[in-house]
Amino acid sequence: MSDNTVILEVKDLCKSFDGHEVLKGISTTIRKGDVLALIGPSGCGKSTFLRSLNLLETPTSGHVLFEGTDLTDPSVDINQVREKIGMVFQQFNLFPNMTVRENIMLAPVKLHKMTDVEARKEADELLARIGLSDKADAYPASLSGGQKQRIAIVRSLAMNPDIILFDEPTSALDPEMVGEVLSVMKELATTGMTMVVVTHEMGFAREVANRVMFINDGVIQEENTPQEIFEHPKSPRLRDFLSKVL
Amino acid sequence: MKKLKQRLLCFFAAAGFVLGAAACGNASNEAGETNAAGSATETQATEEAGNEAAGAVLSVDDLPGKRIGVQLGTTGDSYVSDYESDGSGTAVERYNKGADAVQALKQGKIDCVIIDEEPALNFVEQNPGLRVLPEEFTLEDYAFVVGKGNDGLVEAVNAALGELGEEGVLDEIKKNYTGTEEEVGSYLYEKQDVERSNGTLVVGTNAEFPPYEYYENGSITGLDMDIMQAVCDKLGMEMKIEDMAFDSIIPAISTGKVDIGAAGFTVTEERKKNVNFTDTYTTSKQVIIVADAGNAGAKSSFADKLYDNFVKENRYLYLLKGLGSTLVITIFAVMIGIVLGFLIAVVRTSHDRTGGFVILNGICRLYLTIVRGTPVMIQLLIIYYVIFQSVNVGKTLVAIIAFGLNSAAYVAEIVRSGIMAVDIGQFEAGRSLGLNYKQTMSAIVLPQAIKNILPALCNEFISLLKETSISGYIGLMDLTKGGDIIRSITYEAFLPLIVVAVVYLLMVMGLSRGVSVLERRLRNNER
Ligand SMILES: Nc1ncnc2c1ncn2[C@@H]1O[C@H](COP(=O)(O)OP(=O)(O)O)[C@@H](O)[C@H]1O
Ligand SMILES: [Mg+2]
Repeated sequence: MSDNTVILEVKDLCKSFDGHEVLKGISTTIRKGDVLALIGPSGCGKSTFLRSLNLLETPTSGHVLFEGTDLTDPSVDINQVREKIGMVFQQFNLFPNMTVRENIMLAPVKLHKMTDVEARKEADELLARIGLSDKADAYPASLSGGQKQRIAIVRSLAMNPDIILFDEPTSALDPEMVGEVLSVMKELATTGMTMVVVTHEMGFAREVANRVMFINDGVIQEENTPQEIFEHPKSPRLRDFLSKVL
Repeated sequence: MKKLKQRLLCFFAAAGFVLGAAACGNASNEAGETNAAGSATETQATEEAGNEAAGAVLSVDDLPGKRIGVQLGTTGDSYVSDYESDGSGTAVERYNKGADAVQALKQGKIDCVIIDEEPALNFVEQNPGLRVLPEEFTLEDYAFVVGKGNDGLVEAVNAALGELGEEGVLDEIKKNYTGTEEEVGSYLYEKQDVERSNGTLVVGTNAEFPPYEYYENGSITGLDMDIMQAVCDKLGMEMKIEDMAFDSIIPAISTGKVDIGAAGFTVTEERKKNVNFTDTYTTSKQVIIVADAGNAGAKSSFADKLYDNFVKENRYLYLLKGLGSTLVITIFAVMIGIVLGFLIAVVRTSHDRTGGFVILNGICRLYLTIVRGTPVMIQLLIIYYVIFQSVNVGKTLVAIIAFGLNSAAYVAEIVRSGIMAVDIGQFEAGRSLGLNYKQTMSAIVLPQAIKNILPALCNEFISLLKETSISGYIGLMDLTKGGDIIRSITYEAFLPLIVVAVVYLLMVMGLSRGVSVLERRLRNNER
């Protein structure tokens, strides 16, 4: 599934909040086409790790290299890098004062990636792809959670990113809507999109991810293929965790 | 409590009536009676308090123990102050203008008014039921007032006064205003056609002191003004009149805002400490005005009152012009408030979120603390008398700046709370798409913040509209001051005040309606 192009390289990443050390040195490499599932108990630092990858959280120490550029270098234009790193939030974070189409068009037009006409065409194609063409002129408040999250996903797609970060994309959804969001993500994975997904959906991790990373106590406790993680968990912590969530 | 209710009822009955009268443009007799009934209740309510100080004032000897009304900062004020501490329970009520003191006397709130003779005669003539006691309170000399150290101007004015005296011009002017019945109005001093190459003389006055200085047909005239004009003609100077509160004139001279004070200033030792006096140009006395026992006052019909207050000599123009200033000040102040308020709010929230703008944020906080911690009136006075002390800028501009700066502080905090109320996720979503801080703020956060705060912002501007009513303190004729000028001409409190109140009320009600329509629209959006 993955070729050898390195998209993200994380070197000894540490992050503390007011002296409270959340990440205690994490290193990993994410290659093109990887679908990396991040699992771990609540509060173990999954979100903090994910948000460090596009510098929404500033690492206390360590390095994050995106396609060779060290994001922790203050001279790097982080805005330019973020254009290439999509992000999908647990709470969707659609812009409530804009229509669905405007949500999707905003960044490409503002950042001069597309003309107004191109962006509109792109938005409509993306909406057609997820079967929500009829919602183009609706405001987010009128949509279901599942619809909002699918739109949030295509909003990040509109910038044509090299990688998309997902922070528990289905955790805020009613159970009957989880499936529609996961299937959009699955489809994305099959097109070869590089993805890092913080999730509690073990079925998704097992089926779609090619790597699963178990974080605990601010370190990577275990990292392996889904098969190994779920069939042959090595550390007692992981076993304990899996026994609770499966 | 009951009294308050009663008054409120009266107020609304009267306000409602004025609205009605304005609508049909025709005051009926019945309506006149409604009004009379209204003021009767008012008088009753105040008389309860009034009966304690027994005995009428019939001479100077009766003054101890009485309630005496004076105009703030006049010589009457300083003389009467001696009574205050004599242990006889004398109460001195100080009013901003003579007309207000007379009004209080009519309503029985005070026992007498001590004021300069000429205005006193004027008041009495306009108010049947009042009279001036034959025995004067004191005799006094009037002179013009010049700043300490400005001896050149004192000498020049004295020389001019000397010449005018010899030529007889001074006497003619005095007769024209304070002479016998035949003499009054017989001589109009004509501004001379001379070269005015010696600059401008800024004359500070308080045009609510007839016949020395007062408004007539929209401009300021009077004995002092004519003499000042004659002096300017002698000196070859332009004359510029600045109308302001009486007790502001000497401070204005001290700070250089005004060159010379011409407002019936009595020469006193106290004042000599702060200013220089020119030669005396006329003498007057302080007299005592009292109300006749059983004074009811001659009742003129409501229609007459309407005519007197608004139609006669086109007096409604004072209100109209004033309304114009009020609107201009409010609108431009709102603009300054919005622009500056947003900038401050953005600096403050940027600092809170990113830690940047340390110095700018400090300045903003200091600004907010000062502006929100002091009364807007003091700010207005400081900006006029201190900051623009030596700079010659229009008063309207000063008011716009003062109210704009004041409003900005409140707008800033409203906007800041609006920005803070926008979910941080919105900000993060914008940043994660690659928008920079500014783009995220302007395209995503601010539009949502504005929507949240629009009602609060509109309410801020409604209060701003009402706050501009203190513009009169720098002598600017806004709506309130326009009503005050009418009051000082007609000696009638009720109608001008009520009409001014109704005009404010109508504007505020219109704006409030606009706000609620806007709120509904915004709520319907996003569905
Ligand atoms: N902005 C922050 N300030 C202080 N502490 C934080 C902040 N964000 C996260 N934390 C703390 O860091 C720890 C890890 O949080 P998080 O990364 O959200 O965990 P997870 O996503 O795995 O549930 C938690 O203890 C949390 O309280
Ligand atoms: Mg989390």
